[in-house]
Amino acid sequence: MPRVLWPLRRGRPCVEVVLTLAAGGQPWTRGLVADTGAGANNSGFHLILDENDCLRCSGNLLQPLTLGGAYTGSFPTYALSVRLPALGFDRPLTVIGVTSVPVGFHGIACFSFLNQFTYGNFGDPGRFGLEC
Amino acid sequence: MPYTGPIVERNRELARQVNEEARKNPNSPYANKFVGIANGQVVVVADDFDTMVRRLREVEPDPSKTFGVEASRDYTEVHEIWGLR
Repeated sequence: MPRVLWPLRRGRPCVEVVLTLAAGGQPWTRGLVADTGAGANNSGFHLILDENDCLRCSGNLLQPLTLGGAYTGSFPTYALSVRLPALGFDRPLTVIGVTSVPVGFHGIACFSFLNQFTYGNFGDPGRFGLEC
Repeated sequence: MPYTGPIVERNRELARQVNEEARKNPNSPYANKFVGIANGQVVVVADDFDTMVRRLREVEPDPSKTFGVEASRDYTEVHEIWGLR
């Protein structure tokens, strides 16, 4: 089964997803903190990114979602094409656009995204990865 | 800059109406469907999110003129984010 691992970033689990820039169609890698505490499996969103990143990648507007906790209020939501080339993953995902993201990361990979895969350190405490 | 303008507002209002209808009437053609809107009109009614997004992009390549809604969903539900900022 294909597996991809990334080094911890700032001591936290990180996943790297590839977006596509609207201008020029270039791939654009974003490092996200893997956070199983962000949303639930049926929350209806997969990632949290800076809203400007959603716009740079031609996100299609979706109905806004309401968050509580670390983010509070109604937030714009977008459909964005997201790839994990090493896993052959290429799907549109539901992405919430925010104005501030965790320091050292470009956003958050939420539980409903991580839970599509087998995830963990796979025996290496210095890395975090996904397998499908 | 976030998408703005009259088309965005028309799409947003139509999405609100579609969801309201689906939530009131389980026999609505939109109930439990993924509905894609472009330029103020419903253009896609799909069974899954991926299909809705793919068809919506085929119909209207300009993302600022499109909108998607999961009809029958309770969009007032609050989703907790426990993560640090």
